[in-house]
Amino acid sequence: MSLAGTTQAFDGIENGSAAKMQPRWRRRLRRRLFPYVLLAPSLLFLGLFTYLPVVRVVVESLHDRPHGTGAAMVSFVGFGNYSKVLADPAFRQAALNNLVYALGTLIPTLVLALAFALAVQRSNRFSAVLRTVFFLPSLVPLVAAASLFFFIFLPGVGLLDYYLAKIGITGPNWLGDSDIALWSVIGLTVWKNAGYYMLFYIAGLQNIPHDTIEAALIDGANAWQRLRYVILPALLPTTSFVVVIALINLLTSVDHVIVLTRGGPSNATNLLLYYIFQSAHENFEIGKAAAATLLSVAVLLAISLASMRIMGRGAQP
Amino acid sequence: MSAISRIAVGALALSVAALALPAAAQTKIEFFFPVPVEGKLAREMTRLVKSYNDSQKDVEVTAVYTGGYDDTKLKAQAAAKAGKSPAVVLMSANFNVDLKLSGDIMSLEPFLKGEEATRTTFLADFWPALHANAVVDGELYAVPFHNSTPLLYYNVDHFKEAGLDPSKPPRTWAELVDAAKKLTKREGDKVERYGFSMPAGYDYLGWLMEALSMSNGGRYFNEEYGGEVYYDQPSMLGAARFVEDLIFKHKVMPQGVVEAGGVSTSFFAGKASMVLLSTGSLSFIRDSMKAPYDVAFVPRNVRNAVPIGGASLVMFNGQSEESKKAGWKFIKWLSSTETLGGWSRFTGYFAPRRSSYDTAAMKEFIAKNPDAKVALDQLPYAKPWFATYQTVAVRKALEDEIQAVMNGKKKPDQAVKDAQKKADDLMRPYVEQTALKLPQ
Repeated sequence: MSLAGTTQAFDGIENGSAAKMQPRWRRRLRRRLFPYVLLAPSLLFLGLFTYLPVVRVVVESLHDRPHGTGAAMVSFVGFGNYSKVLADPAFRQAALNNLVYALGTLIPTLVLALAFALAVQRSNRFSAVLRTVFFLPSLVPLVAAASLFFFIFLPGVGLLDYYLAKIGITGPNWLGDSDIALWSVIGLTVWKNAGYYMLFYIAGLQNIPHDTIEAALIDGANAWQRLRYVILPALLPTTSFVVVIALINLLTSVDHVIVLTRGGPSNATNLLLYYIFQSAHENFEIGKAAAATLLSVAVLLAISLASMRIMGRGAQP
Repeated sequence: MSAISRIAVGALALSVAALALPAAAQTKIEFFFPVPVEGKLAREMTRLVKSYNDSQKDVEVTAVYTGGYDDTKLKAQAAAKAGKSPAVVLMSANFNVDLKLSGDIMSLEPFLKGEEATRTTFLADFWPALHANAVVDGELYAVPFHNSTPLLYYNVDHFKEAGLDPSKPPRTWAELVDAAKKLTKREGDKVERYGFSMPAGYDYLGWLMEALSMSNGGRYFNEEYGGEVYYDQPSMLGAARFVEDLIFKHKVMPQGVVEAGGVSTSFFAGKASMVLLSTGSLSFIRDSMKAPYDVAFVPRNVRNAVPIGGASLVMFNGQSEESKKAGWKFIKWLSSTETLGGWSRFTGYFAPRRSSYDTAAMKEFIAKNPDAKVALDQLPYAKPWFATYQTVAVRKALEDEIQAVMNGKKKPDQAVKDAQKKADDLMRPYVEQTALKLPQ
């Protein structure tokens, strides 16, 4: 219909008298609508596959669908699912684990990424090799990396324990001890991600104007002072970007948890995303899963906004 | 990767459909199957299905490999929700109760009626221990396909070295502790070799705790009713204390959780002398173990008893009549005496039909592999696999607590109480709608 409308508009231009007969607002409306007509197909799919699921999650989170009890299938429960989720010790443990996991991974990853970047920022053959070595882990898919680490972490017979035994250390049960398992998962994630964020820091370092560093040199700043007062402030936008990307990445990937521990022992490595998966697919509690999803997305949004704002403010002196 | 394989499967289905267009009478169905252990099983299954397709013209089966047991359940449910129910699915046998309650799988009774068979006549050839997992609320919902029980594997060289007689493996818990103490090798505080080890990851641990509590005279769950488990009973408490003692008192078992892959690897590496693993691992261990090994019953405290594990064939609701008929036909072929026997010899699982063991091929195989004979001899002591309302969550309630015991975080008495409470909470909605729903 609207396509027919546009051809009419062209007709109108051809014989001016007819154009005058069309009210101005209609022509303006057509011109306004035309871009939306072109966008319609992609909007349709965006709506179907992105926004509709979001709406459905919101709706599901407000309803209860008791599993196979023969009771009325769907009932509206308001915020009942949210209070159930918040009262669930497994959810609280998963949230706490996620916090430890996020901070425990983020800080070492950033420090390592920056250290790597500083070490290899100058281009020569040696640093090119090093860059490849540092970057290699991020080329390995997370599932594959986790499968490798399953054997590295094997208690007693794994690669890690084998080398530790050579220097007289008895390794703990890396993935089976509830006090250590989460830190093993963190170790794997740091190994996997540091090289990737190094790339951003290398780019960031190359964007720092040379004259500021030269000026610092002339003023007699030593290496630490240059890093602390010149390079780090100049890298703030990079850091803020990396922090947001890394946090999102940390909350949205659980492949390694599924491969290594499936959240165990005793939920010690259960993360929010895996908790959501368990509620929905193992326990048939769609409403609870939806509520937990919305809660974690809300936290994620808040963290992203806050860190962007704080870092953004810091970037402009 | 799964997207690619789905496209590939789709393309394959399309091309098969295009090729088969002239023969309009043929019914095409999908068969979802998981492979719980090693990769070569997937190839064998594909070969089996192809030989079925070649053997007749009425049904064309597309075999779809769907990952592990859990993934298979998810994928089958997702496909059913999307209106493309798979005709036949090889499903972990303890999901059947939950799948029936959620209305996903269909009763097989109509097919039996059509053939003038009854549940009793149909199941007569299957081992009695398998019947409970095939029947839900008094109707047949599943046909057993491959089954397993836990089994004690032990290193023969270690037995000789420790002065134990490899032809007399431990039969009781007391003998197990005694042997494990002799087999454990220490250097100062460091343990060089553990006398005993068992998988304690999710899924496996629940199954093995069922084995230990049953060997202790217990039942674990109510076979007739999906709303009861017996976690805080003496049989389970004793089993939990036994596990605690093996780790902390006798110090013959590694502390904390070791997954099945870790247990089998340390058995191969000679770092664990006795391990509890599934009979489903028999071929894997036969192929990978370099040192001589042997197998024995799961040791008892009160009586010999082990739970069944494994998978059965189920059919999903929401298919056309032709598809149902074709699916049933395929199930009958897959669960025939010969097919089940062949699959059993290939995998190490035992065949659910007793008649499979009367075939010449099977007799020859058993004569050649005495370890398979032990697994078979243990069968008369087998009991049903736990299946309740919310099976996975109810099982996890116990597993989380036992894992805490294995890490020295909780005492068994408290652990089984907490597990019972959690399980009761999980099953409450069902209990209130069934056993506690009284006439007003």
